[in-house]
Order: sequence, then structure tokens, then C-alpha cells
Amino acid sequence: MRWPALARKTHKWLALLVAIQAVFWTLSGLYMTAVHIDIIHGDRLVKAPPSVPIDMTGLVEPAHLAHLAPGLLAARLERQLGEPVYVVETESGKALFDARTGAKLSPLTEAQARARARALFAEDGGIVSAELLTKAPLEVQTRPMPLWRVEFEGAWRPTFYISPFTGELVSRRHDLWRTFDFVWMFHIMDYDDRQDVNNPLIRVFTWMAVATAATGGWLLIYSFRRKRRVRKAAA
Amino acid sequence: MFLIRWLHKWFGLVLGLQFLLWAASGAVMALLDHHQVSAEHAILPVARIEAPAQPLPLAALSETVGAPILKLQFKPLFDTYVYEVTTAAGVQVLEATRGTPIPIDAAKAKALAVARYSGAEPVRSVERVDRPTLETRDLALPVWRVEFSDKDRTTLLVSATTGEVLGAKNDTWRLWDIAWMLHIMDYQERQSFNHPLIVTVAVGAAWLALSGLILLFRSFRRGDFAWILDPWERLAARRRARRPTARAGAHGAPQSASEDAG
Repeated sequence: MRWPALARKTHKWLALLVAIQAVFWTLSGLYMTAVHIDIIHGDRLVKAPPSVPIDMTGLVEPAHLAHLAPGLLAARLERQLGEPVYVVETESGKALFDARTGAKLSPLTEAQARARARALFAEDGGIVSAELLTKAPLEVQTRPMPLWRVEFEGAWRPTFYISPFTGELVSRRHDLWRTFDFVWMFHIMDYDDRQDVNNPLIRVFTWMAVATAATGGWLLIYSFRRKRRVRKAAA
Repeated sequence: MFLIRWLHKWFGLVLGLQFLLWAASGAVMALLDHHQVSAEHAILPVARIEAPAQPLPLAALSETVGAPILKLQFKPLFDTYVYEVTTAAGVQVLEATRGTPIPIDAAKAKALAVARYSGAEPVRSVERVDRPTLETRDLALPVWRVEFSDKDRTTLLVSATTGEVLGAKNDTWRLWDIAWMLHIMDYQERQSFNHPLIVTVAVGAAWLALSGLILLFRSFRRGDFAWILDPWERLAARRRARRPTARAGAHGAPQSASEDAG
């Protein structure tokens, strides 16, 4: 077989295997590059916390925390809804305490979770729904459960995930993120749980794509030379 | 179809190299195990130590800090409990019972890194990083760069303000990072994949792939699949030929012929 024919044949047959995936790769890549990652992350959905100093008088002393939370490992004093709270980490998990009274606030009730979500949401929309999840949905699959899921009115269905143990905003999602996650699945070819960038399918297909591109380059050498000859002949 | 072939060729000529680089860098990133790339196994969890029974009271702490406190943490830092205090001026780390400042100098950073390093190899170098580098681009500076003398040149990055181990890098990551740079076409900082160059080239590459897909329909003829279709059709023909004769013995030819047509 002559070289140009071999180049054409290999390029054609490799392309038969990878063409559809190549379209998926480029289109998903186009989405991921065109929509800025800060928008995907939903930075604009969250209000920057006001830096107001904490009044230290009359607060529960750190020395007392070990009595409130046995097995204390670490504690953080911060403001939630304007009030000072301790977020503590113990051997048996995390918990939230009112820093003035020492009352345990966790696990948060629905009203407490709604209030925190509302205070952190940067847009005007009201809360559509709030529910306590015990089984992780795909969009927060790496986060420990349970979580309060609070969905808002507004463009792209903005959703906050609040930890019932710490009162923190663990995650924020909206439809642009969900679309990103969907096209990411096509990009890394993990059609199962969208996480494994080292799956066998992508390892095989990427090298086939390399070969397709390389044989395409090989084919270019003949494609352009032949055309010049045709022009000369015509002239 | 001629136009699509012409476009495919010219898009291939202009963008083919980047397409090849995307495929090759993607292949490299798919091959490098992401657990190894993240170097997560190089960092041990924080060791548990006894919390002091009498940490400094809040009033005394406020006085020591001397500025309004925005956030306060009480936590172990290697071998002692500390207060990590955030004020408008920044972050201070104080020993939790006496309130004495703990400066995160080279020696302290080295000790903190060794305590969290999962390997047994000794430290090769300790350097302070004040300006963004490829290894520290996602971290709050300044940091201490503590490199160990293992095969993978594992490097722990220790915050020079809080003493926390912020992350680890190794040679697998350094190789991955070159592929990442080629993949996202950000050759300076290797950070952003949202810039006009990559969006433009991605549009072209999408057309390159799509036009290639369209051309496939034109490029293949029946003869290309003869190796699979010919034996298949021979087999089907043989079965067709065998069926009427087998049935002809039992029911007669006309009936089986009508069955065949149905």
C-alpha cells in the first residue's frame, strides 16, 4: 500500500472509533472554557461575611468547652446570624454551641438552617424548599451527610447546602454548575459517577485520539501537495 | 461534502497541533493516578494531643492581642495547643496557656512539616516563598516550602502565618502540571482555562471534530466493511439456502417458500 493510502486508511478507521467522543470532548471543553469558573462555583450567590468584631465579654470560656463537648479536639469562635457561636470538633464529630449561653444549637432545626441560608444568600429570591438529606445526591456526593438542602427562587435554581452540625455553608449549586458537572462527565468519560479521571475508557480513548490527530497530521502532508499539483496541471 | 472536506483539512492544518497537544496532555493526565498527583497520602492527619485544662481566658487573650477579634480558633499545632486569632491586621498564633506568640520561622516550619510528613526521609531544604510560584499559586502566601529527600521530591507547604500544612506537591504533580499547562493553554500561570485564546481554539476544534464526524459518512463504502459483511452474508445465505431444503422433506417446497417470504 502507498503511504498516502495507508495514512488515509488509518486516520479513517481510528476516527471511526473516536469521532463521536472527539465531538463530546471539544463541545464539553468549549462550555467549560466559555463559562467562567467563578460563575460555575457560584461565588456571586454568597454574601461576603461582614467583618464585625466579636464582643468577648460574658462568653463561655474555652476552658469550659471540654465540659460542654466531651472529647474536644478543636474549637472555633465566630459569628453566625450576628451572634457569637462555638463550632467545636470532638472525637465523636462536630457540634455548634451558643457562645453566650453555652446552649447546644446542633443539630440545626429547619428554621435555623433556613435562617442561615437566607442570611448568606446574596440575591433577593425567597426560599422554595428546605429538606434534611441523609443520602448524598450526586451534586454533593463527596460531602459528609446529613445536610440541609435549601433551594431558592432565582435564575438557575440556586441551592445551598448547610451542615446541621456546624451551621456552615458546605456547598452551593446552581444549574450552570450542574451543566458543568454533566459535560465534565463527557470530558473525563466517567459515565458512572463523574469522578474518576483515571478510568480505563479514557486511558484508551485519549491515546486513540493522539493517534487520530497524528495520522491526521501525516495525511495533511499529502493533502496539500496533491492539491498544488492539480492547480499546476489546470494552469 | 467537498466544502466540508476542504474545511476539515484547513482547520486541521491550523489547529491540528493544538488538537494533538490536547489529546496527548489529556492522555498523560488520564495515566497519572490522581491520588498520586494530589500527594494526599504524603500528609498525615493532625496528631491528637491532650488539650490544656486551663487555656488563657478570653479577657486575658483580648488584652494580649490588643485589637478587636474577628475570629478565634483553639486547636492543636503539632505538640501544643494554640489560639489562632484573626484581627483586621491579620492572623496571629499564640500558645494557648500563656498567650506567647509562636513565630512560624524556618525551624518551626520544618518541625511542623516533619510532624505531618508520612514518609521517613529527611528534609532536603526549607525555603520561604513570598511571591506566587507554580507550586503555591492556589495558596495564601507567605508559605514555607519544605522539601523532603524522597524519590518523588515530596514538598510540604506550610503557611508562614498559621503554621498549617496547606498542601503537598511531588514530581508526579510537577509532570501532571506541565500536561495541565498544555491542556488549558495558560503558559504563564497555569491557572485559568477561561481566556479568549482557548475559547477561540475550542470553537475551531469543535468544528474540526464535527466536520470529521460528518466526513466519516462519506469516507466509508461497503467495501470497507467487506471483511465483516461478506462472511456474515455468506452465513445468512447458507442458512437461507438450508432452511427450504430441510423443510421440503417434511412439508413440501411451496409452503416453506411462502414462510420464507413472510
